[in-house]
Amino acid sequence: MDLSVLIQILVWGLYAGCIYILLAIGLNLIFGVMKVVNFAHGELLMLGAYAAFWIYTLLGINPYLIIALAMVILGIIGVFIERLCFRPIMGTGKLNEIFLSLGLIYLFQNLAALLWTTDSRSIHSPYSDVSVSIGSIQLPMDYIIIIAFTVVFLIAFQLFMKRTTLGRAMRATSQNREAAVLMGIHVERMDMLSFAMGSALAAAAGSLWVISGQIANPYMGSIPAIKAFAVIIIGGLGSIPGAIVAGLTLGIAENIVPLFMQSFVGLFGVSMSFTAWKDTIAFFILIIVLVIRPTGIFGEKGE
Amino acid sequence: MKLDRINVTINMKTGIGIISLILAFLIPLIFGINQYLLTVLIITLVFIIYSSAWNLLALSGQASLGHAAFFGIGGYVSAIIASSLGLPPIAAILVGGLFAAFIGVLIGLTCIRMREWFLAMVTFGFAIIAHTITTELSWLTGGWDGLPAKRLIPITITNYIMYEYYIMLLIAVAVIVIIYLITKSRMGLALEAIRENELEAKVMGIGVTKYKLMAFAISAFFTGIAGALEVHHFGYITPEIYGMDISFWPIIYSISGGLFTIGGPILGTIVITFIWEVLRTFGLMYERLILIGVILVLIVIFLPKGLVSIPEKIKSR
Repeated sequence: MDLSVLIQILVWGLYAGCIYILLAIGLNLIFGVMKVVNFAHGELLMLGAYAAFWIYTLLGINPYLIIALAMVILGIIGVFIERLCFRPIMGTGKLNEIFLSLGLIYLFQNLAALLWTTDSRSIHSPYSDVSVSIGSIQLPMDYIIIIAFTVVFLIAFQLFMKRTTLGRAMRATSQNREAAVLMGIHVERMDMLSFAMGSALAAAAGSLWVISGQIANPYMGSIPAIKAFAVIIIGGLGSIPGAIVAGLTLGIAENIVPLFMQSFVGLFGVSMSFTAWKDTIAFFILIIVLVIRPTGIFGEKGE
Repeated sequence: MKLDRINVTINMKTGIGIISLILAFLIPLIFGINQYLLTVLIITLVFIIYSSAWNLLALSGQASLGHAAFFGIGGYVSAIIASSLGLPPIAAILVGGLFAAFIGVLIGLTCIRMREWFLAMVTFGFAIIAHTITTELSWLTGGWDGLPAKRLIPITITNYIMYEYYIMLLIAVAVIVIIYLITKSRMGLALEAIRENELEAKVMGIGVTKYKLMAFAISAFFTGIAGALEVHHFGYITPEIYGMDISFWPIIYSISGGLFTIGGPILGTIVITFIWEVLRTFGLMYERLILIGVILVLIVIFLPKGLVSIPEKIKSR
């Protein structure tokens, strides 16, 4: 395999990995604070992508400035979802969370299809023709911007969680809810905040996805969200570094493994394409990890 | 006194069951051979089998989000066997169910030790993997275009749809009776104990692994049968049978009717299908799916035991 092809694939993997990381960190945050799993997280990504699309279409400002606005909108939607749907069923068992999320998936996907049709939408990024060349390797500018954005988000997130009072209060809530209440932390407000932040991070992922030239449609969220779940299970519940490592690994593995398999069977004179298997790689990794450790890599301390 | 009341409610439930069964047998006689009505009823029966099978697995605390894998595998195996070996569909269906059960055991082996939502994710993943394998084995499965399948009753026979309806009804009744007997047996008690508290069940000497695997196998078996029945009703099969919506329907039906009960999946399937078909006549498409989502959210929050718990709720007021 050509080296420059390999590097191009690595960058593509890093870029896909960034989307998974942003989703996974939001999920991790919500799970950490509320011990709730929102299977409808992908629909928040979808709404974020649409928010970005509409702001861009109606206002026509530089797409990268839109991200903040989309995050605010989805943060507010997140608060409503938490207050109206997840709070009433907290503590009634894990199955209910799964079923409630299914309802939300149906609700949001079809609401989007009804309001905005199922047509694919896209944004023309001003940088879509710009690429940076390193030697013989061409890197699209949008990919670099997205990777940079994700790094900035992660640093800001980490600083918020470690250095601010609010971040500390959220971490305290996720470590021990009862003790946090005794320390005077308003835990329900922390629930709300974690859901809002998780939704905003999903919106960031969605708007970055659509700005970088990918298409938006009502059903776009399911697959990335499922992979984000795989990422947090593989990387460990509540572990931010784990999510980053697992997200990048998955993004790269998805793009490398089919090519690797193709050249592998090529050695035996079989010509066969494995691109159709791309979306299943996350599950193969997930299944292998869970068969070896049913509680996930960093298990135990989760629930 | 208290015992008497329990007896009365049990008798009432059996009564409702028998009356609805008689009604179901009379429908073709009352409404005549109505192609549309009978088609809807046949699909309803298929999904009653499917939801009851899903609910049996849920009874052990394992909520699968990827039952379409078994539904599709049953359908494909049955369709392929029926055309290549020339088996009559009614026999091929059993082979489809058995193969689905075999896959169910394999998937179960990877899943039974997992926590609720890890299991949900992994089963979901298996449905996607089954979809990919099916489309990639296009020499066998016809790839994205799918395969034709033999009809359960050849269309050349007059009133074939009525015969098909009665066959489906018989199979559905048989499946429900078997599932009922399972839930009343040692195994049903064991599954409930495992769902309530797996560790305690283990301490009590219940073979947790054995029963959870059995639940997987039986649930996959009946799901495979349901999938095969649907395929032999429509006369064709495509990879769409592995769709997310196919995995989610039995969940929606079971929850709205009442989880962990025998009547729940039946009632839920009938009520939701009725709403679905009524809305169809108004030409609504996305609105119906939105409504399904809203119903699901509202039921989980306000009526977690489903529609079958309404009489209890009214009584306790």
